[in-house]
Amino acid sequence: MTGSVTDNIYLPKLAVLERVVDEIAEVKTFYWHFEDAEEQRKFKQFLPGQFAQVSLFGVGEFPASLPPSPTESETFFTVKQVGSCTAALHALKPGDQFAVRGPYGNGFPMEDYHGKNLVFVAGGIGLIPLRSCIIYALRHREKYQKIQVYYGAKSPKDLMYLPNLREWEQGAGVEFFLTVDRAGPEWPGHVGVVGSLFKKPGVQIPVDNTMAFVCGPPIMFRFVIKDLQALGFADGQIVSTLERYMKCGVGKCGHCCIGVAYVCVDGPVFTYEQIKKLGEDI
Amino acid sequence: MKARIVARADVLKIVDRLRQDHEVVAPFCGRGRDTFFDTVTDENRDRIQIHLPNPYYPPKRYVIPHIEHLFEVRKTHSDLEIQPTYAAPKRALFGIRSCDVAGIWHLDRFYLGRDFRDIYYEKRRQNLFLVNVVCTDPARDIDDMCFCVCADTGPAARDHFDLQLMDLGEGEFMAVAGTPAGEAMFMEPIVRKATSAHVEKRRAILTEVRKHFKTTTSWFPATVRYVSQGNILDKTWEEIGNRCLECGGCTYVCPACTCFTVTDRRVGPNEIERVRIWDACALDGFTRMAGGHNPRKAVHDRRNRRFFRKLAHYFIQRELSVACMGCGRCAAVCHGDVGMPSVVEMIRRATAETDKLAPQNP
Repeated sequence: MTGSVTDNIYLPKLAVLERVVDEIAEVKTFYWHFEDAEEQRKFKQFLPGQFAQVSLFGVGEFPASLPPSPTESETFFTVKQVGSCTAALHALKPGDQFAVRGPYGNGFPMEDYHGKNLVFVAGGIGLIPLRSCIIYALRHREKYQKIQVYYGAKSPKDLMYLPNLREWEQGAGVEFFLTVDRAGPEWPGHVGVVGSLFKKPGVQIPVDNTMAFVCGPPIMFRFVIKDLQALGFADGQIVSTLERYMKCGVGKCGHCCIGVAYVCVDGPVFTYEQIKKLGEDI
Repeated sequence: MKARIVARADVLKIVDRLRQDHEVVAPFCGRGRDTFFDTVTDENRDRIQIHLPNPYYPPKRYVIPHIEHLFEVRKTHSDLEIQPTYAAPKRALFGIRSCDVAGIWHLDRFYLGRDFRDIYYEKRRQNLFLVNVVCTDPARDIDDMCFCVCADTGPAARDHFDLQLMDLGEGEFMAVAGTPAGEAMFMEPIVRKATSAHVEKRRAILTEVRKHFKTTTSWFPATVRYVSQGNILDKTWEEIGNRCLECGGCTYVCPACTCFTVTDRRVGPNEIERVRIWDACALDGFTRMAGGHNPRKAVHDRRNRRFFRKLAHYFIQRELSVACMGCGRCAAVCHGDVGMPSVVEMIRRATAETDKLAPQNP
């Protein structure tokens, strides 16, 4: 990752938007590629859990998770419209240019997890950063023991990556549990917060030799951590990926500092044990 | 390092020599306490000050400007074109104080160290020649707020300058080179060899000058230990935070603060430029994310962020350099009196109190 003297770490490379897919309200998936094939090849070396800086010229730059697994052929971002930069991205049409630099961050150390059970717990758009890791693990299925995915959304309308969810439901080497916070009578599935799935009859969470990946809104995060700890998970077995508005992505601008860590270079992936030692609220 | 002697009357000839192939920046006096760095011209050359209170606006802007252009994006027909904009004039900083020399060294560690090198910083830094002037005049050089003696950066920098000048009195200056570029200045006919009497005099002056520092923060290293070990009570952090007015002034005058924000500006009908601008962790919006969520809400969270960043051992280890040079600027500009010396003092007092309350061993 060490840049040579001539490398300009702040210079994004031009990218072209291929197509846009609606996920849920205000959330879309943007398929894109770099104009330069060599850039595209280099970028594709990214690790699950890394992120990129997306430039919308004239508006600004923002950090975005990389939901695709490097094993997939396409590169894309899934972005919720929350501010001016994301609004500018949402306004782009296929064929439009924007710019990207990256990948940045530590990513999930997927090789350290070999031979372990993987439990993914995602709330809402928290599935975006975990998707990469899930797809990657399933692609290297023989390297891991049990793989479970727990996914909670607000309502049936708020379920994203539907094609993936269907695959996982059909048991492609993964045990998949789905819940929504609220639903009408037409919803056949489970209703309740994502932590309530752990107590559902027939659900068996492996604890020994397991890594749990948690990503979601702060309140969901707090409760799921408690649930996992109650099940016997040690803090070092719980992994999350943190979010900050990085202005540089390379440990210079200072915006993503939490306690002693720069989320952009030391993270965004941290174990809960590390998170507790940061010395500041996340 | 070989010491040389330059006559007082010849000191500004070093500026003249540097001006042949550098833009030379030197300190000047405005009215009252107002002092500032400015580009030397034929007109102002004779008004350059050797002894003066250190300007509040730190010389770090010559390595990381207040507003730095990163690149321009031009739209031609339907295509975008990105063009990086580098500005790295050959520049000499004449009269930079020892604390600020240490500040630039810290910025070097920060922007050029670790995995990612900052090319904008690097280009400016490579073309920068530093002429350090040692603070020897207690009346004019040393402020009530100065505490470089405690931060171990002054009054005489030990390294990281190209050339160091020190007023020995009686019309003589000692010149020491820190780099080959500085050494090359000794080719000038104005320098002659120093004697051991000169070296002795230098030592005597420095010993005397050290006695004139009023701000006593000898607790500085101990504070680093307390902060790093997490031994500071929330109450103390809150007290410090409550006195912060969130003006961000301390970070702007700090020779070692590094944070910036990045923004795009429209500069023509089909052109935008991306710039980075100094930013301050004390400001409300510093950690605010899109959608409004701000993980650092309370002012003491933000306030303490700065001191934590500067005093935690983890960061010192990371940059191999403490992010406080003891220049005292933050203490001078802070309306709430929570500059670094006060913070160290507040931590010292609170720690003394807790020590008193701690159960005694039988």
